[in-house]
Amino acid sequence: MNSARKNIFAVGFALASVSAVSAEEITVSAWGGFFEETLKTVIYPGFTEETGIEVRSIAQPADQAWLTQLTNAARAKQAPADLSLVADEVFIRGQSIGLWANLDAADIPNTATLLDGFTKVSDEGNLNAVGALSWFTTFVTNTDAVSDAPASWADLWERDWDGKLGLTSNSNSGLIEATALTFFDGYETMQTREGLEKIIAKIAELKPQVQLWYRDEGQFQQSLEAGELAGGLYYHDVTMLSAADGRPVTSTFPKEGGILGDAYWIVPRDSKNIDAAEQFINYMIRPDIQAKLVRNLGVAPVAKRDAMDLSDEEFAAVSSTGTPIRNQTEVHLREGDWLSDKYLEMISR
Amino acid sequence: MKGKAVPHLIGVFPLGMMSLFFLAPLAFMVMVSFYERDPLGFFNEAFVWDNYAKFFSSFYYTISLRSLWSASLGAVLVVLLAFPAMYIIVDMARRWQLFWVILLLSLMCLSEVIIGFAWLILFSENSGIPKFMGWIGVWENPRSLSPSFGAMMVGYVTLGFSLVALMFLPQLARRDRSIEEAALTLGTPPMQVFSKVILPNFKAGIVSALVTMFVYFLGVFVMPTMLGRPQDWNMTVIITDKAVGDANMPLGAALSVIMLIFTLFIIGALTYASRNKDKGALT
Repeated sequence: MNSARKNIFAVGFALASVSAVSAEEITVSAWGGFFEETLKTVIYPGFTEETGIEVRSIAQPADQAWLTQLTNAARAKQAPADLSLVADEVFIRGQSIGLWANLDAADIPNTATLLDGFTKVSDEGNLNAVGALSWFTTFVTNTDAVSDAPASWADLWERDWDGKLGLTSNSNSGLIEATALTFFDGYETMQTREGLEKIIAKIAELKPQVQLWYRDEGQFQQSLEAGELAGGLYYHDVTMLSAADGRPVTSTFPKEGGILGDAYWIVPRDSKNIDAAEQFINYMIRPDIQAKLVRNLGVAPVAKRDAMDLSDEEFAAVSSTGTPIRNQTEVHLREGDWLSDKYLEMISR
Repeated sequence: MKGKAVPHLIGVFPLGMMSLFFLAPLAFMVMVSFYERDPLGFFNEAFVWDNYAKFFSSFYYTISLRSLWSASLGAVLVVLLAFPAMYIIVDMARRWQLFWVILLLSLMCLSEVIIGFAWLILFSENSGIPKFMGWIGVWENPRSLSPSFGAMMVGYVTLGFSLVALMFLPQLARRDRSIEEAALTLGTPPMQVFSKVILPNFKAGIVSALVTMFVYFLGVFVMPTMLGRPQDWNMTVIITDKAVGDANMPLGAALSVIMLIFTLFIIGALTYASRNKDKGALT
């Protein structure tokens, strides 16, 4: 009798402490590797200090794989994380099947200093996502192998790369957009399948120059740093950080522009900590934290330029003044299956 | 009666587990393969043949033929190398035999990813075999040897070698050597003893090793993606791309079902062929 009561007491105590902990802790996922590690060690501690909310940081896989996991989890009414960093396309796909929680805009006042277009509202008027950061994909080269930096995307075709280019194996890297702008009538050409086929045929001309069609970013970076590859398409931020470490690599914005991608914070529908998540988003988009992201991660900010205390030099290091190339997400969503099959067919023929 | 019931009862447990954890997901896969793809979301429950129809486009057709080719070539190569190697090892002094067996066993501990990375480094222009060949002056302008079909085959062989070698170990060690001695005393040259006496004696074992390796290589993912070019990627890679990358589960499931049917058909044909001949030899 006595021991039974003790057990009940213990269970009650355990439950109380569990709920107390869960109110004070949120799980945040970001792309695994350098990204997630830097966020965890440099950015999140400041949030915990200000709010007392602990952040458990987890690594998430590449976009589509993560969306698949989120979808499966949602079917089981689970949220693998309270907050997640997702790319444009993942956000739209998730929104269309109701994966994201509705956020209260009044709880995230810092959206006032965001650049236009970084609050995503559904057709019903619910706030579903808030901009987190932007990143550029550019023309990267190994400085030992290539002495003069490329000036245009056309250099991919026109220069002799000695068969040492590295390009991504997926169709939504931005190469299609860059090709369309460099050799055709821009995004207009991407509107029809005939246009897309012409673009893919143009990319196919690169095949003899391409040694690695990479699916693993680490493999590309390692090969570029080692000089196995002379150049290719890669992230501006990671390349510049690696160059700052003394590796013989550099990233160039071609005259047609770098390829700009956006990432958003979303809260999975089944998260139990929406209030804490909103506080977290509000913190992450605050101009001083955006400036901190620029300095530590080398990504482009989503806050307005004049709201941040970045010097011109700091700003120029992560961004360019020209018009960026934008992933044509609606084309990739509309033609998704057809386009990815065509692209895969082209590279694997 | 009672003596038989106990082993049967013990057997019920793994059998039940098999049905639950192997057959149930398989049944689910077949179900999903008929679902309708929802491009924005996931899939809608339906009964359509679209996913199977896609396979008969030239692209998937080529990929599946390619997978069958690389898996069979890999299987033949690995058996061709492992069988004679084991034949030599079992004739060694006990100490050396032990050394090789332990080495082969420890090779099996390495994961596919580690083996892939090791070969990636060995094949690289700056630190591996090409660099060495350039250094000794055999290769004037050394280039990275991967990704290539050859590199991928080397990966396959490394992956399967110890498995096949250890499969042959008990059979080769315990074989009846008097048959070979008889052949030798009757004047058969040693090379012919190997091809005319030993190989036919081990035909069943060799065929089963070939089939095992073939099925194993059909399912590898890391070696083709790490060491192979896009034109070497097999069906497993494409299925992963479709199911995980494009979130197209129905197509991924349909392609898997087709590969399963292919595999079952080939295994069936091989076992049937080898059994038929054995019967012919007996009568």
